Amino acid sequence: MALLEIEDVVAGYGAGPDILTGVTLSIDEGTSYCIVGPNGAGKSTLLRTIAGILKPRAGEVRLDGTRMNGSRPDQMLAAGVCFVPQDASLFPTMTVRENLVMGGYLLGDRVLKRQRLEMVFETFPALADRKSQNAGTLSGGEQQMVTLGRSLMVEPKVVMIDEPSLGLAPMIADQIFEKIGGFRELGITVVLVEQNAVKGLESVDWGFVLDLGSKEFEGPADGILADPRIRELYLGKQLAPRERR
Amino acid sequence: MNWVQLLVLGLLLGSVYAMMASGLTLLFGVMRVVNLAHAAFILIASYITYLLFENLTLDPIVSLVITMPLMFGLGVIIYLVLFPRIEGSARYVEMTVLLTFGLALVVEGLLTFVFTGTFRSVRPAYVSTSIHVGDIFIPSNQLYASAVSFALLIGLWVLLRFTKTGTAIRATMQNRGAAQIVGVNVRRISAFAFGTGMALAGAAGSLLSFLFPFFPGKHWQWIALLLSLIVLGGMGSIKGAVIGALLLAIASAVVTDTFGPTWSPITFYLTLFLILLVRPQGLFGAKLRL
Repeated sequence: MALLEIEDVVAGYGAGPDILTGVTLSIDEGTSYCIVGPNGAGKSTLLRTIAGILKPRAGEVRLDGTRMNGSRPDQMLAAGVCFVPQDASLFPTMTVRENLVMGGYLLGDRVLKRQRLEMVFETFPALADRKSQNAGTLSGGEQQMVTLGRSLMVEPKVVMIDEPSLGLAPMIADQIFEKIGGFRELGITVVLVEQNAVKGLESVDWGFVLDLGSKEFEGPADGILADPRIRELYLGKQLAPRERR
Repeated sequence: MNWVQLLVLGLLLGSVYAMMASGLTLLFGVMRVVNLAHAAFILIASYITYLLFENLTLDPIVSLVITMPLMFGLGVIIYLVLFPRIEGSARYVEMTVLLTFGLALVVEGLLTFVFTGTFRSVRPAYVSTSIHVGDIFIPSNQLYASAVSFALLIGLWVLLRFTKTGTAIRATMQNRGAAQIVGVNVRRISAFAFGTGMALAGAAGSLLSFLFPFFPGKHWQWIALLLSLIVLGGMGSIKGAVIGALLLAIASAVVTDTFGPTWSPITFYLTLFLILLVRPQGLFGAKLRL
């Protein structure tokens, strides 16, 4: 059985139109995924809906076969679904360490919290050096590392990461993708949303192509990258520089 | 008057203002609510204190035990009934201003209906005594009100700094979205914070009842003063509210002494005007993205 199942989900903001017009996809444990598609396709909206920030207007979100519709974000997190939003959502005047500790807000056990913190510092040694610094003073790449590290505090089953490379220099973005690749060894299922479709697809197993609020195509990530039709329709712009070379 | 005396009077009143303002700034920090009804709620507590004193001769300081939980409960109810309706609105901040302005009018109307527009005051024995230290005189009522306010501020600080709920409140103040993502139930935390702000309004009402005479329309004066305090400190910053309150109370004591009491309110608005001109985010406020 799939870990996370999305069935005919319809969602949108406030009284606005449907952004997702009926998305169906399923996420298996231990596989990594990337959702690609043009601007406005509903990629971020999909993640926000799964995370419980938006309530689906129709359809179902199931985790381990249990219907999760209408769950609050804290309930989704407690169930093992962690969301990393795209704007490096940190607490700017708290230190790096305090930010990470906040990631373990749902953990009752102090000893466990401390162990996880050690584990995060092992995974992100750069953060250990900056643990007493206010998060607001970090560079964009470092802030992204903090949000990724923070997501590890609860040992989630699934981490959904929205545009991790947004606004980062290519070299820094590569480091971030490398860290995300490391999540798999920790037994965490990764679902990425990435504007840089090539980078995103190269770092995962399976790709979903989303357009106009529904899934247009899915397949092995390397297959999507190799498919000239999809490249032209959905990934065209991003691939252009490489083809010229 | 000598300057030590002015400083003492300023600090005494300033700590009461600080406690009032920290409740208001807490509401703004956690929920982006500019609570124009805050002083109206303070007045409700003043009238409750008045009733308890007149009918049961309950000391106004002791009546905090009643007004604080009562106002906490009222705050939670008001939050849960009124705010979820406007939470998703694109014009949320504007809506909160209208909503709380309306609440202030309703409260003023109800108070006028029940208590009429007559000036009231609560007069326990200590309103007419004072303590003399050298040539400094300290009015007893101001001393007690200041001590209670100071204790409540320490309590608020301990709550925010050392408890799990307090950490969640601070996190929500800094970044509501991020707080939600790490598993804070932001609606419950908001309700609790609203209740806490209102409990402080309750305490302020009980204390003000024996410091100044009051009538139902008095809250307009208080809210204007409170807003100038929290804008000076930086909206949403409790530290700023406390320091802003102390500074302005001292400034107001000096102005009263130099130019006479009619000029005292001007101190607040002039400072407000200058701060908005020079440093709109206030002394300790972050530049806000609303």
